[in-house]
Amino acid sequence: MIRDFEYLSPKTLEEALAFLSQYQDECKIIAGGQSLLILMRQGLIAPEYLVDIKGITELNYVQAEAKAGLRIGALTPHRAIEKSPLMKNSFSVLAEMEHRLASIQTRNWGTIGGNLCHADPAGDPTSVLMALNATVTTASVKGKRTMAVEDFCKDYFETALQHDELLVEIQVPPAPPHTGAAYTKFNIIETDMAMVAVAVSITLGTSKDVCQDARIVLGACASTQLRAKKAEEVLRGKKITAGLLKEAGQVASQEADPISDVTASEEYRRELVKVLVPRVGQKALDRARQA
Amino acid sequence: MKKELKLTVNGQPYELYVKPGTLLVEVLRNELDLTGTKRGCESASCGACTVSLNGMAVKSCTILALQADGGDILTIEGLAKGTELHPLQKAFLDHGALQCGFCTSGMLMSAAGLFHEKPTPTLDEIKEAIDGNICRCTGYNSIIRALSAVARGEYKEQR
Amino acid sequence: MSKYNVIGTRVHRVDGPDKVTGKAKYTFDMVLPNMLYGKILRSPHPHAKILSIDTSQAEKLIGVKGIVTGKDTLGKKQGIWRRFPELCDEEMICRSKVRYIGDPVAAVAAVDEDTAAEALDLIEVEYELLPAVFDPLDAIKEDAPQVHEGVELNINVTRHIEWGDVDEAFKQCDLVREDHFRCSSQAHVCMETHDAIASFDHSGKLTVWTSTQAAYYMQVLLADMLGLREGDVRVIKPPTGGGFGSKFELDSAQFCASLLSMKLCQPVKIVFTREEEFTASKRRTPMIYYTKLGAKKDGTLLAKEVRVITEGGAYTSMGATALYLTGFFSSFPYKYPNYRYDGYRAYTNTAPTSAMRGFGAPQAVFVGESQIDMMAEELGIDPVEIRRRNGMTPNYEVPGQANIQSCGLHQCLDKIEEHIKQRGKLPPNRGIGIAAYGFMSGGIFNWFDTPYAFSAAVVRINIDGKVDLFTGACDIGQGSDTTLSMICAEELGVRLDDIRIHAADTGICPPDLGAWGSRETLMNGNAVKMAAADAKRQLLEFAGAKMGANIVYDLDIKDRWVHLVDRPQKGLSYFDVVKEAIRGKDGEAIMGRGHYTPHRKGMISPAYSFGVQAAEVEVDPETGRYKLVNVTTAHESGTVINPVGIEGQLEGAIMMAGGYGFCEDQPMDNGKILNPSIGDYKLIRSLDMPETKILEIDTYEPEGPFGAKEAGEGLTNPTAGAIGNAIYKAVGVRIHDLPITPEKVFRALRAKEQARSSK
Repeated sequence: MIRDFEYLSPKTLEEALAFLSQYQDECKIIAGGQSLLILMRQGLIAPEYLVDIKGITELNYVQAEAKAGLRIGALTPHRAIEKSPLMKNSFSVLAEMEHRLASIQTRNWGTIGGNLCHADPAGDPTSVLMALNATVTTASVKGKRTMAVEDFCKDYFETALQHDELLVEIQVPPAPPHTGAAYTKFNIIETDMAMVAVAVSITLGTSKDVCQDARIVLGACASTQLRAKKAEEVLRGKKITAGLLKEAGQVASQEADPISDVTASEEYRRELVKVLVPRVGQKALDRARQA
Repeated sequence: MKKELKLTVNGQPYELYVKPGTLLVEVLRNELDLTGTKRGCESASCGACTVSLNGMAVKSCTILALQADGGDILTIEGLAKGTELHPLQKAFLDHGALQCGFCTSGMLMSAAGLFHEKPTPTLDEIKEAIDGNICRCTGYNSIIRALSAVARGEYKEQR
Repeated sequence: MSKYNVIGTRVHRVDGPDKVTGKAKYTFDMVLPNMLYGKILRSPHPHAKILSIDTSQAEKLIGVKGIVTGKDTLGKKQGIWRRFPELCDEEMICRSKVRYIGDPVAAVAAVDEDTAAEALDLIEVEYELLPAVFDPLDAIKEDAPQVHEGVELNINVTRHIEWGDVDEAFKQCDLVREDHFRCSSQAHVCMETHDAIASFDHSGKLTVWTSTQAAYYMQVLLADMLGLREGDVRVIKPPTGGGFGSKFELDSAQFCASLLSMKLCQPVKIVFTREEEFTASKRRTPMIYYTKLGAKKDGTLLAKEVRVITEGGAYTSMGATALYLTGFFSSFPYKYPNYRYDGYRAYTNTAPTSAMRGFGAPQAVFVGESQIDMMAEELGIDPVEIRRRNGMTPNYEVPGQANIQSCGLHQCLDKIEEHIKQRGKLPPNRGIGIAAYGFMSGGIFNWFDTPYAFSAAVVRINIDGKVDLFTGACDIGQGSDTTLSMICAEELGVRLDDIRIHAADTGICPPDLGAWGSRETLMNGNAVKMAAADAKRQLLEFAGAKMGANIVYDLDIKDRWVHLVDRPQKGLSYFDVVKEAIRGKDGEAIMGRGHYTPHRKGMISPAYSFGVQAAEVEVDPETGRYKLVNVTTAHESGTVINPVGIEGQLEGAIMMAGGYGFCEDQPMDNGKILNPSIGDYKLIRSLDMPETKILEIDTYEPEGPFGAKEAGEGLTNPTAGAIGNAIYKAVGVRIHDLPITPEKVFRALRAKEQARSSK
């Protein structure tokens, strides 16, 4: 049962920030509410004030600029991203990820910003955005901050947001030439939360031969999505071969810090990382070569 | 404190007063007595509560009623036009796409969302559209057959 | 041309229009004037003494109208095995001791659900924790905690089945295998959770609307537990959102709503939360299997010995039947000349285990069909061939147990063999596994101790020719209302839309034992057919007199035409005959009655269905993840009454049984179920569902209405076994415990690799 609260429904960002500044930790923000309302029904969250930002249309957009890259308003529904014609080339991995995120009903109403702020270590967008080197902008009455997505995610269900802050935008930089990215989540039921997820982005040098940069992100393998930096090092500066990807997978599996739960053991999750990093890496590599 | 809520449901405008914590499904079932919309879980994972909000399939158990303020809602009760069943409903009957019937309203509303978006969906799109809806009786394939028949144009919309 | 006008045709479900328009009112949807809402307080401990319950704070909460605890009950223990008082071991509200996490200790009625839930938090229960036992193998140890006082080694029930000379037969075998398997739990996950509205009035009568598989059982059990006359309890089953075996025992929603209503003389509604549904509505019985199989070199199976220990949970429930049936179906569908089964059901401090679709047989078939494939491989015999060599045939007697009449197993094997051939050579890591099975068409056993016929029906023909069919059969989604209406229409010679069925209301319908054990089509179908025949006979008497035909001619009715069988063009309109017959009977509507109880049909069931299923999987050998690609089933259920209904039963069973094999499980920690939500309990969804194919087999069952037999549960039996065998074919690993998760396949592949490299 949902406890009583005061419902506030600002129609502009400015109004919303004023509420947050006023009520601080007495209030909770709801966007699509696809995760929050479940927690509120369980009584795990019972705010005094609920600030409903879903109606702030100015935060619902997807834009692409050659220089700045992709800008996604925090209140853009998943389904809009999935269907956006802007999700092409290096951004197409975002649409692929969204396509397998929960159900269509959830994607219709749930927002990408809400998903990020829920900070579930198995959440799909975060892994992909980290691999794409995305940043987020937060706002409060005091001003705006921009930080890397990986700095935004702090711990299980914990972000860098202050009580008076709101996530307003996600920026995905344009990919350098010869970059490819791919994402896979592993689970038993197709559209379920990930048991393990892997996102990889690979940038090749001008000869399309040597790996200039690699970003490997593991989902559901630690208290937040995790950059497997040592595994990235394995690839960087080298000509990527199947053997090298396999090695990266093994290193990544050492970097992972998964738990055992009802869906999988820690050991199995590590083994999956070993298999999935080379697979997703290969797909990213193939795309980088075609890019 | 209760708040004012304006909704259009199945073409009928309503003005109500609800507690902020009231879910959309609770308004439909308890206030408007539209009990065709079901609830099957507490975790937004079964899809039995699916309705169409501004043309989109959504789970009415995971939306505050106030978030739907001003919205245009279609529930299972609004699908048929008078005595004439909707093509989706006819297809469900012909293909035996229901058994206990408890998931059926949600299934139909997910399907309605699909056909609203795209009148001739592919097989994969059909499967994706109902993937958020659990059916414990049919094994889905009869539902998929029914929707495929509609997609092929075997059931014409009545005018 | 079919000789039938109605049966075998593709029809809309009779309840279909109401269900596709959202008009159907389930118990879940009903609201009565002045109705209160109830909630049940449940034990958070697996095993504890109740020292005290203080409800005073909860009573003070505004909106709370009444609270009941064990003290408000008659102090009786109940069970569905009423012939055996020692197996009636469950208090509907615990008085002095709780035995699993979820055992009811109190119930509240309030003006709304939120207030009732709030009141639960205000009830203070003082417990003294007792040591608890969870694993059945621990429970049967000397020093294990006692779940029920005086039950030695926690052994709740034992079952023994034996024929032939098993020990001697094993000596004559060329090959004997001994294997060990574990079968997991499974939740029913009815989309409508258990719920009830009880309304007791000042005249002393109780009416209960409830989502149930057996309205009559609920009437009897409620009357017994509440101290009322059966006739003062009326149980009505509105449209019901699934049952699958979980809804034919008395449940706490029904009991607590009734008890509260009796205390308050107001209607009380209780709906299980989804979490309660997972933790306190019973579940499929987990089983530990030790099985020994002996064969001659040519594949002839000479002997089988099976020992099973089942995890009973806290109470007997339907677990005693599951224990028996798993032993009986372990001999299926083969002609073992020598067979021995010993089953033990252990009480544990876990949620009670009971009936679930297949009723002990899915476990038996997973184990048996895995082992027979292992045996076939060792003997170098094809899996289809070993089944063919030993498979049951028509008119086979299972010694001392059952008389099988129709049996199409061999036709099923032929069809499946053809299917496998058609699939041709499969790509690497793909495999097809098969499993053969049989199932009963309703149980003969009467542990409930009903004095009534097992099924009964009344047909009333009205002046306009419309037929009212009254039966206690329970449509829980499987479609019995449609199938029975079709049987009635066919027998009477009218159309389906001439029938209006009134079912599962104990106030107006004759008793029927309900929808379990796949009994409605055969048992209730026979009663309906008899009732319709009785009514038809009365019409034909008038028609015969009116037509003045030669006495040697037979009359019949087909498609509303009353006619001479040998000269069908000569006849009368059904409607005219009805009008005249009613006038002729001094205005009395035509009434036909029918009832059915199996006699001299062995101990188990009057008829058995058979089938063979082939599951095709594609395994990812690096992760163990596999995909169910195709499931093809050759199932014979006698004459098909309702083809649309059978398709639905078959495909639906694959979703449930595939889930049992693939992903569904209820892991526990100290008796606490860890995944009590639809998000965490993995269910097959549309994108996971394999392609399904049905291969039709013609048989005729002499005991069934128009030759029909079951098609409800048998189909749940083969899939887990077929998947296990398919995985073996695909990647060469054998999984011995359900569910066959990717992680288990991965570990087995890893172990196989290590064994190979260490050689």
